[in-house]
Amino acid sequence: MTIAIATPTPRPLLKSELLSARALVRDYPVGGEIVRAVRGIDLEVTAGEYVAIVGPSGCGKSTLLNLLGAIDRPTSGTVAIRALNVGAMTDTQATLFRLHNIGFVFQRFYLMPTLSARENVELPMAEAGVRSAERATRAHELLEYVGLSDRERHRPTQLSGGEQQRVAIARALANRPALLLADEPTGELDAQTGAEIIALFGRLNAKGTTILVVTHDEDLAAAAARVIHMRDGRIIADETRRRS
Amino acid sequence: MCPRFSAVVAGFALVTALAADTARAQSSIAIDERLAAAAHLGVGDRVVLTSEPGVRGDTFVVGAITRRGADPSEVARDGYRIRLHLGDLQRLLGAGDRVSRFAVASTDPARTLARINSVGFGFRAYPSAEIAVRTSKTFRVLRRFHAAIGVITIVASAIFLLCILLLKVDERRRDIAALRLMGVSRTSVITMVVCEAALISLVGTAFGALVGWVGSMVINWHYQGVYHTPLTFSLVTPGILTFAAALSIVLGLGAGLAAATRLVHRPPLALLGR
Amino acid sequence: MRRRLAFASLRRRRARSLLAILGVAVSGALLLDMVMLAGGMRDSFRNLLLVRGFQLRIAPKGTLPFDTQATIGQASAIIATLRTNPDIVTVSPILGLKLHVPSRNVTTVAIGLDGDVQADYELLSGRPVSGADHIVANQAFLDATHARVGDTLTVAVGYDTPRRRVVIAGIARFFYTAAGELVIAVPLATLQAMGGPMATDRVSLFMARVREGADVERARQWIADKMPRISAISTGTALQQFDQRMGYFRQLAVILGSISLGVGFLLVTTLVTVSVNERVGEIAVMRAIGVSRQHVVEQIVLEGVALALAGTILGMGLGLVTARAFNAILSDFPGLPAAFEFFVFRPRDAYAAMTLLATAGVLAGIYPAWRAASLPVADTLHGEAIA
Repeated sequence: MTIAIATPTPRPLLKSELLSARALVRDYPVGGEIVRAVRGIDLEVTAGEYVAIVGPSGCGKSTLLNLLGAIDRPTSGTVAIRALNVGAMTDTQATLFRLHNIGFVFQRFYLMPTLSARENVELPMAEAGVRSAERATRAHELLEYVGLSDRERHRPTQLSGGEQQRVAIARALANRPALLLADEPTGELDAQTGAEIIALFGRLNAKGTTILVVTHDEDLAAAAARVIHMRDGRIIADETRRRS
Repeated sequence: MCPRFSAVVAGFALVTALAADTARAQSSIAIDERLAAAAHLGVGDRVVLTSEPGVRGDTFVVGAITRRGADPSEVARDGYRIRLHLGDLQRLLGAGDRVSRFAVASTDPARTLARINSVGFGFRAYPSAEIAVRTSKTFRVLRRFHAAIGVITIVASAIFLLCILLLKVDERRRDIAALRLMGVSRTSVITMVVCEAALISLVGTAFGALVGWVGSMVINWHYQGVYHTPLTFSLVTPGILTFAAALSIVLGLGAGLAAATRLVHRPPLALLGR
Repeated sequence: MRRRLAFASLRRRRARSLLAILGVAVSGALLLDMVMLAGGMRDSFRNLLLVRGFQLRIAPKGTLPFDTQATIGQASAIIATLRTNPDIVTVSPILGLKLHVPSRNVTTVAIGLDGDVQADYELLSGRPVSGADHIVANQAFLDATHARVGDTLTVAVGYDTPRRRVVIAGIARFFYTAAGELVIAVPLATLQAMGGPMATDRVSLFMARVREGADVERARQWIADKMPRISAISTGTALQQFDQRMGYFRQLAVILGSISLGVGFLLVTTLVTVSVNERVGEIAVMRAIGVSRQHVVEQIVLEGVALALAGTILGMGLGLVTARAFNAILSDFPGLPAAFEFFVFRPRDAYAAMTLLATAGVLAGIYPAWRAASLPVADTLHGEAIA
């Protein structure tokens, strides 16, 4: 049974609250029918948290991440990041918001194959209007941080999967986002390389980056301080293992 | 000596009459239908013809109205045409016993030609075929020009076709990779792509032929109206159709072969982007 | 960064980019040629008419100069009448006939003219037409008759007319005759005398020069009013007639030019569309990381413009080469003055062609770019992941 829920007024954010989702619903038309991928989810994430969202395939994890990252619009409900209702933003506003506030890491890396590692990291900064010299410096710093300073000029096809993912992470951090969202970041990596990425996430979070990952990887989920379990578009459990 | 009057004597030309001549032959003339329409003349009307404006002329009866023949050399000319009996025009022009040319029928044309040219001064005899060649020079030039344009168009089309087929085959590289990974041979893959290219070429040829045929009809309709002539400007012949079809199929097959060969020689995993 | 991405995308698929550039180049070449054809031959004709500054032609009633074999009688009286108009400063009478050189078995075009006011030739060497029997000839005539400057030839209009001995005084280049045509210039009175009663005081054409600052059309109208049995044609009128006669080429130019532009447009738009379809994942990621739709569109449009521009520049060079080839073919038209050109290069034609192609390149990329940039990010990424 589907219950229509009126969009509630967002409650005032707590001081450290970064992200807040209320009664989030996302429907998709599939072959003439409506499929509800996300069913009325409430969620708060405070600044500096390291959250893993786990669940079986098709439970709506990636859809939820897309809604939280302002890539997708909810059918109903609200998503507020830094007290701004991103779900109600126009496409242009949402794009600009993502540029300055959210970093994305994808399962398949999605680096620009025609750009070098450094240019890939510079891409969001160029879009944000950062000057060339400043971009180059920051890109170098980020690549150094992820351990790829000697691979700056390499194209993605010349990098291993793990190296590509590290470049993707560096790109995601380019504009100093408030929130880092990762969708199955270790999904295409072997165990050892995946462990390196998990360790990198740990270091980032230790420095204060708020991280939300969607994953099937038990090791990655174990590294998170808070694990949200989903099934059939709902949160069925939310366990905090330790403070981030 | 050249006749001064701007009408042309065609004493030997075959006249296509739209109305019968009922007037006396000596003082009758034939006018073309455009002049008849412009001057509101009909068979039986009397007109005065002069060799120059402002001088005294002779009265003639319109005995026939003619239609302009499909003569390419007349196409761009807007002038009217009047046919008179030879004697009438000679008298009108004061040309005496002079003509512009003779047409000669002979049982032995070559010998006749040689004899005339050996005794004549101030004129020459030419075989009719040679005259036809000389007067058709305009259209031979146009033909070469059209052929040159055609060559460039074909080159552009070939490049376009090759580019499109390359793109289409490239779009299918994952399918090709999957087939190769399954064990389908290079030859089979190439055959498949070439067959597809051949089918596209055939369909495209048929469509192009239809467009060309309609275009040809439009060209004829338009220019026949512009130049008031029954001349056929554009003609789609079986030979042209065959040539166009053969060319497009060869180009299509060639492009398909080139595109497919390029892809099947790359490792399947590379095609999948790994 | 957008430029970098655009050019990198083109370099990534070299073969198709090169083919597209080549295709645009050939289309661009044809487009340039057609633009040159549409405007250039008119300019060429106008320059030909005004080569000696004579703005008016006076021909037998209802005809164009040398369009028929008709001539104008009482030429002296007409010249006298024309000279009463203070705006008309020079009148050049011309008679055209065929002359035969019996000893060399050669027939030539003979132009009878007044050597003091002639506008038909440029003297290359020797002396101009003068006196009663001094003529100038073009090189083709000298070659055909194996004659040189200083030689005396016997000429006649026909076998029943008097023969005349003339001296070749100079070699000239004739403006209005076809390449390879044998031409001589003869004193007008001499040619009229040789033509017998049918040529006495008759000319084929007058050319008239109007004084600087005077209204040519007014002078033309004055002639038409004063002497209704002849036709006065100004440069403007002649150009109108020319447009009518050459209408076929102008229409061909417009049609072929449009088709070329269309082909170039189709090529670029197809290439951009396919290229974009292959990269929807990349485009969705760019949108996900915060690149605006407008910037994505700009980058893709830039690819189309780069292809079109590269093709255009190559096409301009190719077009000049093909124009020369086309000109060489069409110059063979019988009766066409050797100085007349169908394809005349004018910088504004090149700019026009380049602008058209560049615009086509922009337009070709806009729709596929906008479509791609407007795809829903999440759905596209999901679709790419499945694929």
